[in-house]
Amino acid sequence: MHEIGVRETVQFAGLTFNEETLIMTWITMAIVILIAFLATRSLKMVPTGAQNIVEAIIVWLREQVATNLGPKGDFLCPLIVTLFLFLLVSNWLGLVPFMASPTNDLNTTLGLALLIVIMVHVLGVYMKGMHYIGHFFKPFPIFVIINVIEEIAKPITLAFRLFGNILAGEILIIILLKLVPIWMPIPSVIWLAFSIFIGGVQAFIFTSLSMAYLANAVKESEE
Amino acid sequence: MIDINATILAQMLNFLILVVVLRAVAYKPIVKMLKDREDTIAASLKKADDDAAKAEAALKEYQDQLANARTKAQDIVDKAEKRAQEDHEAFVQATQKEIAQMKEAAEQQIQRERQQAVEQLKGEMITLSLAAASKIVSKNMDADENEKLIGEFIDQLDKDKIGDMPC
Repeated sequence: MHEIGVRETVQFAGLTFNEETLIMTWITMAIVILIAFLATRSLKMVPTGAQNIVEAIIVWLREQVATNLGPKGDFLCPLIVTLFLFLLVSNWLGLVPFMASPTNDLNTTLGLALLIVIMVHVLGVYMKGMHYIGHFFKPFPIFVIINVIEEIAKPITLAFRLFGNILAGEILIIILLKLVPIWMPIPSVIWLAFSIFIGGVQAFIFTSLSMAYLANAVKESEE
Repeated sequence: MIDINATILAQMLNFLILVVVLRAVAYKPIVKMLKDREDTIAASLKKADDDAAKAEAALKEYQDQLANARTKAQDIVDKAEKRAQEDHEAFVQATQKEIAQMKEAAEQQIQRERQQAVEQLKGEMITLSLAAASKIVSKNMDADENEKLIGEFIDQLDKDKIGDMPC
């Protein structure tokens, strides 16, 4: 990001793409795949090194999925794991000099959020049929207005929360570096550390909320 | 800054590709490995339980055997002691019997010797008395009557004196 808020675009097949976001996304994907590959290259019964970390993340997310989505949601585990790893690496990539987070682009966050929400509705109709559509009209048909607003708000809040946090973090890093003389690095370092924390937290929040939304559609209702 | 363009589609596609790749590269092998590990642990625990049960059974068997052996040993010792006691008593009885026999034999011998001595003494006494009497009486009486007379005297003497003599 040479100038804040200005994105260089490329045209391809008559469509406009944000060049930087795409490149950073591919770098992120490469890193995630590389980590996964390194961690699982020689899987051992007694885990060592990188296997421990990836394994811990997968086990933890599997537990979350099992408690939130129930046994029927097991097939969504890879999606949740990927979502978390991708967001984590994305958020942290922007803290590396000369890099930017793919998640500082609304296209990425809104794309992911829409993907999740579309999946929620498709899965809901597929797994629960008319009952899923019916629950928007309960307890009275008039409630459909509130429910529809809620459903529209879901992807928007999901997308803007992540986008805002990450973009703000990166902007503030640039501003701090410009405002504070180079011999006074303490504010930048503190903010950088905080951004690492924010990156993890936001990745977790996005993932958990996605799980919660998916649970609506997948989990057996208790009624 | 927040303009939305075709990147949104590309990002969705990118993410889906990543899901597919990660599922194949990382998720499936790890879940399979977790399952394997779970199985291994369960098998190990079961084996450990079985082994412990086996060990306990073996221990119990050994203890039983030990107790049996102890009882047997005690029996053998008891028997041996009883037998030794019996042997001892038999030996003591035999010894006592032998002593009694020896004592009896000795008494008999003493009796016999005493009798002999008495007889001998009697003979000598008769001879002496005869000599004395013939000297005293000077008149030689009939030898037969004489001997009878003296024999009566001696018998009386024997009864009164010699017979009461402690031997």
